[in-house]
Amino acid sequence: MELLETINLQKTVQNGDTQENILKGIQLSFQKGKITALIGASGSGKSTFLTILAGLQSVSSGEVLLEGNSLVAMSAEQLRKLRAKEFGYVFQYAHLVPFLTVEEQLHLMLDIAASPLSKQERKQEVHDVLGMIDMLHRQHAYPSILSGGEKQRVAIARAVIHKPKLLFADEPTASLDSKRSMDIMELILKLTKKNDITTLMVTHDEDMLRYADRVIKMNDGKITEDRTV
Amino acid sequence: MNLAWKEMKKSKLRFSILASIVFLISLLTFIIAGLANGLADDNASLIKKLPDGTFYLADDADQTYNLSAIDKRKENDILAETGDAAAFSVQMGFVFDKDEKQQSVAFVTSTNSDYFEQVDPGEVVLDVSLKEEGVEIGDELTNQFNEKLTVAGFADHQKFSHAPVAFLNKADYQAIYGTDKQQMILVPDEDAKDIAGLDAVSKDELLQSLASYKAEQMTLDMIVWFLIIISGMLFAIFFYMMNVQKIGMYGILKAMGLKTAVLLRMIWTEMLLLSGSAIILAAACAMIFGTAAPDGMPFALDSIMLIWLALIFLVVGFIGSTVSAIQIKKVEPLQAIQQGDV
Ligand SMILES: Nc1ncnc2c1ncn2[C@@H]1O[C@H](COP(=O)(O)OP(=O)(O)OP(=O)(O)O)[C@@H](O)[C@H]1O
Ligand SMILES: [Mg+2]
Repeated sequence: MELLETINLQKTVQNGDTQENILKGIQLSFQKGKITALIGASGSGKSTFLTILAGLQSVSSGEVLLEGNSLVAMSAEQLRKLRAKEFGYVFQYAHLVPFLTVEEQLHLMLDIAASPLSKQERKQEVHDVLGMIDMLHRQHAYPSILSGGEKQRVAIARAVIHKPKLLFADEPTASLDSKRSMDIMELILKLTKKNDITTLMVTHDEDMLRYADRVIKMNDGKITEDRTV
Repeated sequence: MNLAWKEMKKSKLRFSILASIVFLISLLTFIIAGLANGLADDNASLIKKLPDGTFYLADDADQTYNLSAIDKRKENDILAETGDAAAFSVQMGFVFDKDEKQQSVAFVTSTNSDYFEQVDPGEVVLDVSLKEEGVEIGDELTNQFNEKLTVAGFADHQKFSHAPVAFLNKADYQAIYGTDKQQMILVPDEDAKDIAGLDAVSKDELLQSLASYKAEQMTLDMIVWFLIIISGMLFAIFFYMMNVQKIGMYGILKAMGLKTAVLLRMIWTEMLLLSGSAIILAAACAMIFGTAAPDGMPFALDSIMLIWLALIFLVVGFIGSTVSAIQIKKVEPLQAIQQGDV
């Protein structure tokens, strides 16, 4: 069975008097442990598609199946639990909690995910992940003093520390220069491969495509290209 | 993880500014409430200290005590029927002390009763405030008809219309005011029966009918309520402004799967810690103010009143912060993601 599957997914929004079809019947499936890059012109519907898969907005018709279970049929509370335990998110900006230290950001995610780890195990896990993103020296720092790249590293660590099944990333490197973007991608690769996390990533940056196992191109709400690298 | 505590620790300045505003407003409220109560005492402690019951006035007096003159037969009937009833009269007047200084007083006389000081003819019992004016036991005072009154003692907190009360014997009172009819009869039973020719009012109604009492208390009560409402709005506005800045963060946390209830608990805990400590501190300061206030200042804050006000403040703070909590409930994770950095 595929990890994630969409069946004839459609999204229509009301824009004033006119109905706009943002997604026009998308049929895709994603295999466990792979990194998929989603590319396409601005306004082609990439973010909309990603947020629907991530359980953050509803579909107009069609199905989203996670390991065979329909997201469309789930209640708000079921979706919340799913997002807390099975999904991780990284966005263009880090969106860290301003009043928590680097270390506390990660602990909070373990809390939200209702992690089965003991207190001691959590500490160890946070320590290990901070080591992996090379932020141990900054573990007691608040976000306001971190650089953009450092913040994004923490955001990625936060998105994967609870070992979700899926990581959703919407232009995670868009606010960084190319050197830092590479570092961030290396990090995503390292962290997701280690825990067998399936990644879906929207990007505008051609350079990032070499980290992907598969590249899907969207245009005007449809898939126009789907190649495995 | 205790998010409320973590946030307060990080934003110490912001939260202490709000706490000090709440402190000042509640302190001001406590002090004004204490003054209102003190002024009420100063204005009518004579009446306030009487037991709850029914006050009879002559019905042609239109509920104005100093126009009331109760028929002697009716008085005798009521007093005979109810053992602990008392008939009494109050008239504003003045006396000259031994230095020929004029002192305004409220002359009070009553039938034999425990509710009022009983005085022998030719003597007078004064409110203790006149002691501070230099009057002593044994002093000879003169009334407006040049009759001598010897000070036989002092009574605690007996004031009427902001003047100290001077208790007289019935005979002396009659000599001054030329009537043996009493103005009011108190029956210490709130459900006492109606009597033809007499108006029956409760203690509260009697207090409200005193000219300055109602005006004074209404003004002060209004100020107290305004302060309470202002503090509620302050909470609402402050938490609203803080939340507007944090909408993005709330959205991200919700997207990550944090329960809305956790966010609401965070807001409420912050409100409770902040206003709780500010109000307790303000109550302590108000109490210190009460003991340190000069004797001439009418200030009387009792602890039950203080507790009530503190509770009202907490409830109002809760409502204020809840108004902005509703915003949090409405935050859509998606909206927040599409906005910029927080
Ligand atoms: N809630 C909405 N209401 C109306 N129109 C919407 C809504 N959400 C998205 N759209 C429209 O749908 C289209 C696709 O938007 P989407 O954000 O998915 O594009 P995108 O491919 O991510 O673009 P970009 O690369 O610029 O981020 C756009 O034209 C957008 O204006
Ligand atoms: Mg987009």
